[in-house]
Amino acid sequence: MWTGSIIFNNQPGPQHLHMAVRLPAEFQDPIPGQFVMIRPIGAGVPLLSRPLSIYNFVRYQNHVTLELLYRVVGRGTELLSQLPPAGEVKILGPLGSGFRIEKAKSKRILLAGGMGVAPITFLAQYLERQVTGKNELNICLGAKNCAEIVGVERIKSIPGLLNISTDDGSLGSCGLVTDLLPGITQECDPGKTMIYACGPMAMLKALAKQLAPTGIPCQVSIEERMACGVGACLGCAVAVQNRRGIREQKSVCKDGPVFNIQDVCWDQL
Amino acid sequence: MTPSRKVTFTVTPAEAGVQTPSRRKPGTKNNKLVSGLLRNDKNGYDKQGMLTVEIGPLKLKNPVMTASGTFGYGEEYAPYVDLNRLGAIIVKGLSLKPRQGNPSPRIMETPSGMLNAIGLQNVGVKSFIRDKLPYLRQFDTAIIANVYGETIEEYLRVSEILTAADGVHALEINVSCPNVKKGGVAFGTDPDMIAEVTARVKDVTNLPVIIKLSPNVTDIVVMAKAAEAAGADAVSLINTITGMSVDIEKRIPHLKNVTGGLSGPAIKPIALRMVWQAASQVHIPVIGIGGIMTAADALEFFIVGARAIQVGTANFVEPRATINIIEGIEAFVKRHHLVDMDELVGSLKI
Repeated sequence: MWTGSIIFNNQPGPQHLHMAVRLPAEFQDPIPGQFVMIRPIGAGVPLLSRPLSIYNFVRYQNHVTLELLYRVVGRGTELLSQLPPAGEVKILGPLGSGFRIEKAKSKRILLAGGMGVAPITFLAQYLERQVTGKNELNICLGAKNCAEIVGVERIKSIPGLLNISTDDGSLGSCGLVTDLLPGITQECDPGKTMIYACGPMAMLKALAKQLAPTGIPCQVSIEERMACGVGACLGCAVAVQNRRGIREQKSVCKDGPVFNIQDVCWDQL
Repeated sequence: MTPSRKVTFTVTPAEAGVQTPSRRKPGTKNNKLVSGLLRNDKNGYDKQGMLTVEIGPLKLKNPVMTASGTFGYGEEYAPYVDLNRLGAIIVKGLSLKPRQGNPSPRIMETPSGMLNAIGLQNVGVKSFIRDKLPYLRQFDTAIIANVYGETIEEYLRVSEILTAADGVHALEINVSCPNVKKGGVAFGTDPDMIAEVTARVKDVTNLPVIIKLSPNVTDIVVMAKAAEAAGADAVSLINTITGMSVDIEKRIPHLKNVTGGLSGPAIKPIALRMVWQAASQVHIPVIGIGGIMTAADALEFFIVGARAIQVGTANFVEPRATINIIEGIEAFVKRHHLVDMDELVGSLKI
């Protein structure tokens, strides 16, 4: 476990926090979709660390900075939100499997609902840097309303088509982020396309249903309560179908958090 | 109830051996393995063997074990912990067939603790031996398999299979899981059932048998005595305490299973009291479990009579918790100029 020092912990939205942490240079470079377990240092409150996906990562000569974009959803994230600059956190990571990037795909669609924007932004930046050649990138952001859309400026700086939707129509088109998809996927070649999605379970479940008849491959990053983050406690189980069609329990923290959308047993969630 | 006498017992190796002399043949696989566990010098720590403890016929380089279900199958924590340094690794509870466990959500943090209702998800004993045990064999650390059954027959079958496998040094019999409908705590809340499971498992194995007790009983001493009388080599306690937690906005339980097992610092005083009671009344070693986060916590358990301890929830909080605890115990032993752990175990002054 690493001890990190907070550089800033700003509030870009009503319950949204953007934290940057300075960590030792030994911290491994994460890939998009990976996460960290984090908690305030000392005190013993909360007892368990909280899983947060990585929003950005920069390596400097003698240290690294890790950025997290999170929302206050309970006591653990509330305590994190109260930490001032120079405050210290305990961090374990980077953890999990992350998104798989297949260079052969020429069209990539990134879909973020709510806080799903964090790993999706990191992925978009990673694709911009790592994948060269002629590639089409579409990014779709969705949230309840315009106040809940965070991190737009950073996403705008990435070359690619940006679409925004809100449930109440206060920003972008009115509706769910998954409603933006048909306009983008029509006439696309499923063999050359990959969708990457992260958001609330209800969104991912709807996406699974919507994509099933199209044959377009999709990787989803899913969320679950975790205690250990390393596959030991089995607290974050998700039912997944293996290649032979047999259901088995996988740990979101270790086997995921990224899964192929068609492997997840959505009826169990 | 209150223990009527001061904790004074000390189990010498001879006494421990006398418990089950007929079952331990000289030169058996078991004896070879036990002797192999005392190669303390190899790793440079614990050179004087100060922390060495004996749990019946099982000799450990130090009294710190990982609690079942909190350390996976060992491999999960290998990036963070030198597994050679642990006294013992107790693996996730094993059943005859793989188990899927309970639906999510399975865990919830509560004040100073956490609730879990995993439901004994495990790979099954055969897959454990094929896929997990070969990895564990490379370590100079005792491997203890935790055994679960829905029926007595399942407990026996799993115990037999593990006994035949090379590389398991003891069995911990889980008669205390609160999160499964059949088996588990159904056995652990009835002294006659505990006695029957214990005696029959002892009949099918030559490995040391530890009975893991549930705190969800009126009198823990009755349960510990039942296990002792039936031939258990040791008892470990406590498993989690049944609890629940509610989402007030949705008015639903936080756990899909409704209830779960409470662990972590919240249960330590209860665990300590129960270990003290049990250790005062039985002559077999007692292994203390419950909310141990630091060396100081572990020392409290030794002082009330625990011969060894298990670290559970602390692994989730700090992957290196076990190592920090071992180093803390060693520092305490040196600071107090103790010759060995025996000077500490059951040294409570009342």
